[in-house]
This record gives sequence, structure tokens and C-alpha cells, in this order.
Amino acid sequence: MRQHIMSIDDASALIWEDRTLILAGDEDALRQLPQGNWIGGTIPYFITADQGGIATRDMVFVTDLTGTVTGVEVTYYDQNTIPSVYSDGPQHGFSFIIIPASSLTHLSFALNAPSYKDFGVRPLIGWVSGMHLDDLGKKTPKVFNGQTGEAFEEGALVLQAELPPDKVAEIGIVNLFEQGDGDTLVFPSDGFVVKSVLVNGEKQNFAAYLKDKKLDTHLPLVADYYGVQVNISFQAIHEAEGTVQFYAPVFSGVHYKHAKPVGDYVQGFGRLLEKECSLEANRLVFSCNCILNYLYSELEGKKTAPFTGPMTFGEIAYQLLNQTLVYLQVHEV
Amino acid sequence: MDVPEKTHKGWEDIVTGRKAYVLKSLAVKMVLGSLTLSVRGDSSPGNIAACIDQLHDVFAKNAHTPSVQEDLKTIFG
Repeated sequence: MRQHIMSIDDASALIWEDRTLILAGDEDALRQLPQGNWIGGTIPYFITADQGGIATRDMVFVTDLTGTVTGVEVTYYDQNTIPSVYSDGPQHGFSFIIIPASSLTHLSFALNAPSYKDFGVRPLIGWVSGMHLDDLGKKTPKVFNGQTGEAFEEGALVLQAELPPDKVAEIGIVNLFEQGDGDTLVFPSDGFVVKSVLVNGEKQNFAAYLKDKKLDTHLPLVADYYGVQVNISFQAIHEAEGTVQFYAPVFSGVHYKHAKPVGDYVQGFGRLLEKECSLEANRLVFSCNCILNYLYSELEGKKTAPFTGPMTFGEIAYQLLNQTLVYLQVHEV
Repeated sequence: MDVPEKTHKGWEDIVTGRKAYVLKSLAVKMVLGSLTLSVRGDSSPGNIAACIDQLHDVFAKNAHTPSVQEDLKTIFG
């Protein structure tokens, strides 16, 4: 297995062995690690193989790429340079990105990634770093460059990984949410915050619409991208301003619908894996899931085998996603 | 299967939505989600050609990926 949760001492030992690692952990845990061949992001919530969902500030979640990749390069991006993230990807391999939540780079990437040059041409997977929910307003999400010992709350770190010629990277997602049978919602402009919406073609205030319809905002809006169900999760409804805020931007012209309820997440997850996912566990290199799934579906103590990983403030599979499990497989060809 | 030339009619059919397929590759589906929306808003020959360029590039640069191979067979036979 390439993904493990472990003590800070055990993670340090792997770093001293010069292994190539992607790490997730609380800020104080990551700060205790030695310099080495790793990048990391802050988050203290995980799904583990043995204990299922846990929150811990004392352990580090490790994805070990040693033996899978033939070489890596770590690159820092900001909101001005992030548009080249796909073009800069290795000719034969994948790029792994970690972006601090609410940074300018996060917002820019979320809004504009599908229009960046070479979008979709080279695999890009990763996640948005966050913090313990008790630390909201006290700490900021960060990314760590283990090679230099630097930590950033602005920008993004990308680990560009080369693969051997006989292997290819492939990104997948597992999303329990699908479009419901309700109204079709179209927004007039792109953004994280919206005021008006076309409901079946009729302009309405979106905050008032949600209140009137009593829609459960734990369920996301869902768009159908050529068969891929892409979620937009609700962050807040500001009734006084008449606005609705999301964790990912809506895009103008896209047809959204409120999601169908999923019932028990773990049971639904199992059924979906059987139905749609032909994954072989030995090909699985990385996976992460959303903190909102952890919270709303009460995943503490529950397992989502074969997937483990950090529970993040946003998932990236080519573009920013919400309430979605993303994973990376490496196939032999 | 090799990736057909950009002049193959299948590329235009798929980016304009004249033909739709159930595909496997997440990259292909995400790019097509964006491109078909773009063509719905601007169906000029220039935009269609740009969308074909982008989609062709996704297939060409990922041609060894199993799901992309399946999608090539689904679209081009």
C-alpha cells in the first residue's frame, strides 16, 4: 500500500531514507518534519485503512511515490503563473498540486482552470489544504515544500512526477451525488458568490429561492459535464445581502440541478464502487475525499476501502471539485 | 488504435454535440464538457476548429491510457 497514516517519527524516518513523499497533516506536525524530498499540505482529517475516518493533530498521512515515479520536480506557482500548470506538466507522468484554501491562487485556479492552456492534456490531481475546524479564524491553510523547508499560505506547490515508459497515470473520481429531478438552474456569470439565477429560464434571487424551496444545502448543486457529475457545494446563504456563497465557482451557461439525497454514504459508496469502478487496489497511488463528506456523512470511524487519504477543503481532478473522492491510478501498458 | 487526423468528421460531430457518446476517460469527458459548452455559445468555424485542436491534443497526448483507447474505439470504431 502506498498510503499510510503514521507518527511524526516514522514519517521523519522515511524522509531521511530520501523517499519521495506527499504529506498531509496539521501545521504543527508538518513543521516538525525534516527537510527532504516531499511536499505537504495542512489538514488533520483522514480516512485510514485501519480506523476509518479520524481527526488527529499528532499523525501524518503519507503517500509514498518512491518506486512509482522515476523523477520529480517541485515548482511553486502563484496566481500569475498558475495558468501554465498544465503546459508545464511532465511529458510522461502526472502533476500533483496542493493549494491553500482561500488563497488568491486557489480562487484563480478554481475560476479559470478549464480555460488554461493544455487543460486536460496532462494529468493534474491534488487537493486544497485546510485546517482543524476548531482553528478557523486562528490559523491559515498552508502548503510545505520539504525540499526547502518553506511554508506558504499563498500560492501552490506542484510536484511534477515522471513515470517509466511502460506506465501511465490515470485520474478517476467517485461521486455519490447526481442531478435530482428538480428545477434547472443557470447562473448569469462565473463566481463563488451569486445573487440571481435563472430557474427554468425565470430570473429569481437565489437565496430567496433556496429558502422558499427549503432545499437541503448539505446536498450540492450538480452539473453534468459530458457524463461526469460535477458538484458545487454550498458554503453560506447571506439572507441580508441576498447572496449565496459556494466552495467552488458556478459557471455561466452550465445547467445545474440540486442533488438527489444519497442516504447512507458508506453503503452508497460500496454500491457505486461495485457498479462503476473497475479499480485494482495495486494500481492505486493516491486518493483523497472531501471534508464535507466527512462531516455531513459522519465518516468518523467509517471506512471507504480501498480508498484512504486526507479529507480536504477541495479536491482537484484536472479542475476543482467538491464533495468528491478523487484518485490516481498508475497502469502498466 | 491510432488517433485520427483532425480533419476526420468525427471530431466536429462530437464538439458540436451532433453526436454524443458514453465515454470512459475523465480527462476526455471534462474537456468535452467545457468544449461543447463553448461551441453552444460560439459555433463559428474558428471556435469549432480551436475546440477540435484541444480535443485532438488530449487524445494524442494520452493515447496509451487504457480509457482513452476505449474512447477512441467508441468514437471512431
